[in-house]
Amino acid sequence: MKKNGFGGRSLIGLCFLFLYLPIFLLIFFSFNAGESSAVWRGFSLRWYGELFQNRLVIESLATTLLVSLLATAIATVAGTFAAIGIYSLTKKWRDPILVVNDIPMMNADIVTGVSLCLFFVAFFNGWGGIARWLNSWQSLIEFPTRMTLGLTTLIIAHVSFDIPYVILNVSPRLRQMDKNLVDAAQDLGCTWMQAFFKVILPEIKPGIVSGALIAFTMSVDDFVISYFTAGSATQTLAMTIYGMTKKRVTPVVNAVSTLMFLAVLIVLIINNLRSAKQEKLNAKRASFEPVRENPRVERFKAWLTTPRGKLTKRLTALCTCVVFVGTVVFLTAFTTSRPVVNVCSWGEYIDEDLIDEFEAETGIRVNYQTTDSNETLYSLLKSGGADYDVVVPSDYMISQLIEEGMLEELDYSQIPNFEKIDPRFRNLPYDPENKYTVPYTWGTVGIIYNSTMVDGEITSWSSLYDEANAGQVLLIGNSRDAFGIALKYLGYSVNTTNEDEIRAAYELVADANERGIFQGKVMDEVFQAMEGGNAAIATYYAGDYLSMLENNEDLKFVVPDEGSNWFVDAMCVLKEAPNYDNAMKWINFIASTDANLRNMDFIWYASPNSEALEKYPAWYEEQYGEELDPEIYEIMAAPQEVLDRCEMYTVLPRATRTLYNNLWIQLGI
Amino acid sequence: MSKELIRLKDVTMTFDGETVLKDINIYFNDKEFLTLLGPSGCGKTTMLRIIGGFQTPTSGDVLFDGVRINDVPPHLRQVNTVFQKYALFPHLNVYDNVAFGLRIPRETEGPDGKKQKVKLPKDEIDQRVREMLEVVSLKGFEHRSIASLSGGQQQRVAIARALVNRPKVLLLDEPLGALDMRLRKDMQQELKRIQQQMGITFINVTHDQEEALAMSDTVVVMNEGVIQQIGTPEDIYNEPKNAFVADFIGESNIVDGIMRADGVVEIFNRRFACLDGGFEKDEPVDVVIRPEDVDIVSEAEGQLRGVVTSVTFKGVHYDTIVDFYGFKWLIETTDYCPVDSRIGIKIDPDGIHVMKKSKYSGMFGDYSSYSEEYDEINDPTLIDDDEAEGTADEE
Repeated sequence: MKKNGFGGRSLIGLCFLFLYLPIFLLIFFSFNAGESSAVWRGFSLRWYGELFQNRLVIESLATTLLVSLLATAIATVAGTFAAIGIYSLTKKWRDPILVVNDIPMMNADIVTGVSLCLFFVAFFNGWGGIARWLNSWQSLIEFPTRMTLGLTTLIIAHVSFDIPYVILNVSPRLRQMDKNLVDAAQDLGCTWMQAFFKVILPEIKPGIVSGALIAFTMSVDDFVISYFTAGSATQTLAMTIYGMTKKRVTPVVNAVSTLMFLAVLIVLIINNLRSAKQEKLNAKRASFEPVRENPRVERFKAWLTTPRGKLTKRLTALCTCVVFVGTVVFLTAFTTSRPVVNVCSWGEYIDEDLIDEFEAETGIRVNYQTTDSNETLYSLLKSGGADYDVVVPSDYMISQLIEEGMLEELDYSQIPNFEKIDPRFRNLPYDPENKYTVPYTWGTVGIIYNSTMVDGEITSWSSLYDEANAGQVLLIGNSRDAFGIALKYLGYSVNTTNEDEIRAAYELVADANERGIFQGKVMDEVFQAMEGGNAAIATYYAGDYLSMLENNEDLKFVVPDEGSNWFVDAMCVLKEAPNYDNAMKWINFIASTDANLRNMDFIWYASPNSEALEKYPAWYEEQYGEELDPEIYEIMAAPQEVLDRCEMYTVLPRATRTLYNNLWIQLGI
Repeated sequence: MSKELIRLKDVTMTFDGETVLKDINIYFNDKEFLTLLGPSGCGKTTMLRIIGGFQTPTSGDVLFDGVRINDVPPHLRQVNTVFQKYALFPHLNVYDNVAFGLRIPRETEGPDGKKQKVKLPKDEIDQRVREMLEVVSLKGFEHRSIASLSGGQQQRVAIARALVNRPKVLLLDEPLGALDMRLRKDMQQELKRIQQQMGITFINVTHDQEEALAMSDTVVVMNEGVIQQIGTPEDIYNEPKNAFVADFIGESNIVDGIMRADGVVEIFNRRFACLDGGFEKDEPVDVVIRPEDVDIVSEAEGQLRGVVTSVTFKGVHYDTIVDFYGFKWLIETTDYCPVDSRIGIKIDPDGIHVMKKSKYSGMFGDYSSYSEEYDEINDPTLIDDDEAEGTADEE
């Protein structure tokens, strides 16, 4: 054979570099002392520490382990029997069935996920009627009429995609097995069932174990199918990591990814070593060549047949079972036992210590989920897959939800802290009689710019469309804000329903896009881009600007002279919320002055609690021993004259919403 | 050979419309070493599996001690099997393999007539396993794993595993097929010794005629699902019933002849004295002449005259191929006759065996293509399987 030349070898090297460099970088930066994923600031285990204090990570890890363990156990049993069934069919049937078995593995996860999700939802829709009917003529068992996606559906989904992997691993072992083994066992006095346990099972055990290991890795690893079948209240580790990357990527993501990578790596190595050893043994066995066994192994095997060895073996098996069951019970208890409240909010929109405090105070577990825009939240709720109690949409979305009867009225007697909400933020147009909402934060939309990349000060929206900033502008990634800003710039109302005005705004944006002014459209990715100096100008929320400022001092914020949008995000409870009373407790807790102060400090969004708003500068000084920059306070809590320049969004009529949607798609950035 | 133990009555077996066994009628005596001999595909393994209970005949009865056992599952039959390639349990060591059958609780009728499951006591199991390992000369191998044994040792484990259950009949499916030539010879002796020591019936399946002749009390030659001949090894060799048996057992020259009278057979228009009789006058017959029964004499003295076409030295004798009027004979002789020399032959009356014509007439017994066949037979890698397949193909 021709020897590999230098060219060939370096090509292989390049391939491997390409494959593994990203992973090595990820692992390397998980030990970074700094926050960046690109600049090395020295070695530290800081992020691993933070990882284990991150409740979201720990909870989703527990969910992942529980789901993977249970799904693997069920799939292993089911898959093994299925494989034996397939094996005993005639070839005519066996081969087509094995092909059918391969299809789910080859099938796009997204198709599997969506189809399972639709299947579950369809089943739940039908189930309501069945349950009511069952409950009507018997009173022995009370069947729940309302079922939602959650842990159970997640486990069912995982079982369904794990089974083919088990079959795939067990089938070859069955085929390799000497056909006469079962005959031999029966010849020696076994019934078929005895032969199965005494002969078949030990023979195919390596296949079962590797099938189980692969099923387990697949379960741990899965994101797409879980995403569609977990519902709103359950989150796997992969989903949590995905949620984290939507925000500013901190090395916590690196740390958790590194641990996952290592875990999967270990499982794979074990599996490969096992199958390599088995292969060798099979080859020897087939050629009747004696295998020379390690004398220590030989001695160990002999010891295993002594009474003490047998006892030890049985005890070990028993312990394994106990540990498995114990783990499952513990994880189940951990993930499901306590009363819960399901909250859906925006990313990095709460001081997570507050969640711990609330849990400690009330014993209620908070299922804290996030989405990235009002529109996403809306479609989640509409699809019926979500099972939240509390959501925190923005003003215009609240009116839409009220209009569509999707919100439950609040019991204000359970929310005494509502008293402290500034009258300015009560009875606002989206909820004129204030029956549905308790404000969470408020703020303005403005221009964030990098003073080192832009000449002079910016005071007008015109800079967004200015050729001088070509390729440096980040367009905000939702239609309402993007067109709203253009409308404001053109001197129209952000709530106009006049099609010509809206089309004019569209033309403005489309024209700027054609001239190559926009670098792209972003939502939360804006943090990375602006902090890293990758773009000069963006439009975003005042509070988020202040977060960015902590990481890049060159950034500036302005609410342009033409005026802008000001918004309120408020807590609401969904119709038929399964944990209504817990939701009231949560809302009251978050509305307290202390929670508002800490939230304000953490997320830099202004509080609607008048006490907190007033106290914040003093509180800041007390906390950090230095005075709060008044400029910062002004940006956070915009003074009345700025608010006067701004307009709040109101819900648009359906026709206008459709127009927005179509134009947004037409824009196609 | 005492009483009858197993009988197959009119047994027919078909798989997917293909008849594998056709109207088999045979009985097996107690304490007998019997071999089912035939090329692959002749139905001998199927017959064994029917006795073992792994297959139920399409029609006909299987009787054990006079009782019909067609529907008795394998685990309830007093029969054990040594499988092809042994089918030892790879996850168990030697001891546990042998003890396997003893550890399965047996259903027996208790004193009150009720069925109850009985487990053998541990000491008894231990004693029987150790005894059996001694019988098969595997003492000291108790804790060895199966994978660490040689083929011959695995063979012994398989025999011990079956015999430890004290069956009335031991079925052996090509027991020596996976062993090399020398080991096979040793194991033949060993099997015979074990059979005599245990005093039970062995039913052995093989396609190796030498093995069959060496070990058996009775040989059953089968082909195409039909029993061709049942007899002692001597009978089978000396008095083959038809051309198939004659060819399958040992080397034979089979030529067309005409029975002129009792004791007189005409071959190549020459009359030979023979010991056979009972044929009609002038009946066409097959005549078998074993290669070692031919004496080479000078051309003038010969009853037949031919030309030597090839000579191969075989140690004790020469394999000499002689052309008689276009028909080639194999002659085993200690006299060296060079190629192309003209010779004569003489055959004593007891060297001639006359058979009735059968459907196999004219298919065997000509050594025209001997040299190729010879090579094949002696190629150790092609041994047995190819020979058997070759024979099967011819039919």
